[in-house]
Amino acid sequence: MTTSDTLSNKSGITIRHSRIWRNETQRVARFLKVKPRRRSELGLMVVGIAVVISAMTLASLAATNQIPPHVYVPIAIIIGVCVIIQIINRYLVPFADPVIMPITLVLNGMGWIMIKRLEPLAATSQLLWTVVGIGVYTLTLVFIRRSRDLDKYRYLIGFFAFFLLLTPLIPHFGYSVDGARLWVRLSSTLEFQPVEIAKILLVVFFASFFAEKKELFAIPTKRVGNVLLPDLRVLGPVALAAGAALLIILAEKDVGFSLIIFLVFLMMLWAASGRWGYVIIGVGLFGLATFFAAHILGQIGGRFAVWIDPWKYYNTSGYYAGYQPVQGELAFGRGGMFGSGLGLGLVHYIPNQGTTPLPVATSDFIFAVFGEELGLVGTTALMVGYVLIIGAGLRAAARAKSDFTKLLCLGLILTFGLQTFFIMAGVTRLLPLTGVTLPLVSYGGSSLVANYALIALLMRISDETNTIAS
Amino acid sequence: MPVPPEVLYMDKRIKLIALGLVFCFLLLFLQLNNIQIIQEKSLRYKSTNVYDDITQNVLDLPRGEILTSDGTVIAESKPSHDAYGYQRIYPKGSLFADITGYFDVVDGSIQYGVESVYNNYLETHVTAGGSPGKLISQQTGTDSIVLTINAKLQKIAEQALGGRVGAVVAIDPVNGDILALYANPTYNPNVLASHNASFVQEEAKKLEDLSDPAASPLIDGATQLTYPPGSTFKIVTTSTIYDYDPHLAAISYPFLPQLSLPDSNVPLHNFDNEVCGGSLALALAVSCDTTYSQIGLDLGGNLMYKQAKRFGFDQVPPIDLPGATPSVFPSPSTISPPFLAYSAIGQGNVRESALQDAMVIAAVANGGKLMTPHVLGRVIGPDGQIVYTYHPHMWLRATTPATAAAVRELMLGVTENPAGTAATQTWPTGVQVAAKTGTAQNGTNACIDDWLVATAPAGNKEVPKVAVAAVVSGASAGVVCDGTGAAVAGPVVSTVLTAALKEGL
Repeated sequence: MTTSDTLSNKSGITIRHSRIWRNETQRVARFLKVKPRRRSELGLMVVGIAVVISAMTLASLAATNQIPPHVYVPIAIIIGVCVIIQIINRYLVPFADPVIMPITLVLNGMGWIMIKRLEPLAATSQLLWTVVGIGVYTLTLVFIRRSRDLDKYRYLIGFFAFFLLLTPLIPHFGYSVDGARLWVRLSSTLEFQPVEIAKILLVVFFASFFAEKKELFAIPTKRVGNVLLPDLRVLGPVALAAGAALLIILAEKDVGFSLIIFLVFLMMLWAASGRWGYVIIGVGLFGLATFFAAHILGQIGGRFAVWIDPWKYYNTSGYYAGYQPVQGELAFGRGGMFGSGLGLGLVHYIPNQGTTPLPVATSDFIFAVFGEELGLVGTTALMVGYVLIIGAGLRAAARAKSDFTKLLCLGLILTFGLQTFFIMAGVTRLLPLTGVTLPLVSYGGSSLVANYALIALLMRISDETNTIAS
Repeated sequence: MPVPPEVLYMDKRIKLIALGLVFCFLLLFLQLNNIQIIQEKSLRYKSTNVYDDITQNVLDLPRGEILTSDGTVIAESKPSHDAYGYQRIYPKGSLFADITGYFDVVDGSIQYGVESVYNNYLETHVTAGGSPGKLISQQTGTDSIVLTINAKLQKIAEQALGGRVGAVVAIDPVNGDILALYANPTYNPNVLASHNASFVQEEAKKLEDLSDPAASPLIDGATQLTYPPGSTFKIVTTSTIYDYDPHLAAISYPFLPQLSLPDSNVPLHNFDNEVCGGSLALALAVSCDTTYSQIGLDLGGNLMYKQAKRFGFDQVPPIDLPGATPSVFPSPSTISPPFLAYSAIGQGNVRESALQDAMVIAAVANGGKLMTPHVLGRVIGPDGQIVYTYHPHMWLRATTPATAAAVRELMLGVTENPAGTAATQTWPTGVQVAAKTGTAQNGTNACIDDWLVATAPAGNKEVPKVAVAAVVSGASAGVVCDGTGAAVAGPVVSTVLTAALKEGL
């Protein structure tokens, strides 16, 4: 479509426009006279822009006593991203929940501000990954016009998920960071964690399988003596898949993701069937596996021991290293109610060490830095932000019309929610530490891109449910 | 086979899961309260122990240079080949001590002056890129601070003061640049920046362990000490007349040797019991105390206090050096007529720092606009790019341009009228100088503090280049205890003023 087209035949273009963009949901919505929600979203975005820009300025003033030079570059990017998202949403998901995207962008922005100060070199790449993330968000919405389309490609998606999970194990291709072999190197500068994408694909696969077979899981058909039990053979393929996924991730020595994927699998199964038996068996198996694994894998045993008394292991290295959790907890303590102020925390970039006193402050432990600089007020606000996204996701799940969409939405939001909860709980020492990223906030390209894809699917489902429920 | 109801109620289970998540985050919120509020104190205490050895590293890195406006390096870091890595050096010794402060790496502290105020620039930090392209490739380094202080003028000020206790401040009235700021006694910052811990402790004790804490060399005598300003305060009194009661400027005052004061049987004497009076111009030129006391009584405490405040009294001067002390004019509620008569001539609880007196004359010279005094000129990044340039701005509108012009005109009489108190000084030729002397009895000792403030060029419609204030304490060795402002402080000011004009600053 060229400019001359637009000028010569304006009305024609408008019609073509609508044909190109409007999907089935939007036609239904038009018929039912449902109001789009994009204007509220725009308002929230303006507030979000103000928050992020003032936070950026404050952090810079604190660190260098001056407004950042060329401050217009990040400001232009922040506003540009919001404008682009607004336009995309207006065309592709006009009826979706207006809260999800503004919060997503604020979380992304706040994370970037922290990273910029803690690890200046990483901030630029995080900014580029944000742009890629927005691109993936757009492509997801463009290509997946109806959530139920995903149901058709169940096995393709499942196989692709396994392929991704296996890639880090390929010699010369995959490699380990801090003991976990979760990484794939594409070139000297481009590397990513396939598990971040794989977890979303696995959720699609599980949702599709459970939606089709849920009656079979739920209804007892097999007689064992006097008791009727559901036919566990139906569960065979999917249990096998889940087990294999777990084994692969455990082989890559990462507890965090295996725990999240297993829990999501169990809860989706329970939501589909309503049978507590699955949950009990699952938790029992996982507990047993963890118990034995704790002896085999030093990582799990170490995480438990350090969780109980990190000070005891303050000077230890390896799996039993307590230095990092201690530093994290101290950072929270220093923050108190209102925090030291952005950019004024003790956790800062130490030039001659090229790092911060708190290891991985930009990824796993970024929540602790928020704790120090914004205090309880800030950590609570951050938590509420996540809870609002999770709430919107669960609402969409409850209102979705088909079993598949319901389960998909539930699975996605559980992946997002549990990951958030586990890392927050780990850093605050409510639970043993599982090294996962804080979605949208932590530094990490694959995590950011995957979460934008996840949010895009949520927006798609939310858009569908809002037109149909009303 | 009927479908069991639980299969149909997937929504119910989603709600249960939602409840479970809410419960999880509630627990998290409680834990946050636990570690951020309940355990805050104990964690903070533990943190100080743990962080001492981590933050040390920042202190072990080089710091940026501090330079004067004419390019003299007055603070720099050199590799030291010891445990600390870098030695902070102050090449000019004590000359700039009150301006730079010092960096004590042994103690891990940055004390006083530019070292502490602009520490964020001086310490090794992530530096801002010099171009949009550099936004992407940030680096670490130090910035250099270029001050407004002129090294030659500072040296001349030191020599003019000649070891006597007192202070000299030279300021550019138009933009508030501090051109020189020197006070005695002072100290050698190199001693306190030494890496020998016990030596530093010993020396610091010597500097602090004095019977009079205010007289410690670590105190900056120009910004942190106040003296009775004596007759230099008549500048403020004169401006009050023009601003609030102009008809007092037209009266011819009686010639008197002394003035009897209301509610008091002790009359106020003129200096040396001289007989003086007449027009306001003459009264200011010869610094007639009886006339000005009468004017003070006529104006009243409220107006006097209001005007003093407009000139910056009773407020911390916004100079970018830490610890500046507010100058004092007694508040109208505490002042009764006999004391007001003394306050109007800069005695009786009026106290002023050398900086404040320089600011008063600078405001008069600059058409009533009191510019924010500052020592920062600009900040230079590691690549030589300018990171920050100080932009002059007004602090207070002390008085109207008309009043400022009238007062300046009268102050020309101090140097030009043959009877003027500063007429016998050697002033630079071919330029008009507005000045005011001050000879103040200091309540704390029997001796006299000598003041002189001057600005030039001070002709009609001329742009002032410099304002200088000097105070010499009568208590210092080598000063006649009963000298006069003109005789003791006069040569100091005229030397600095002449040098400043010659430098073409």
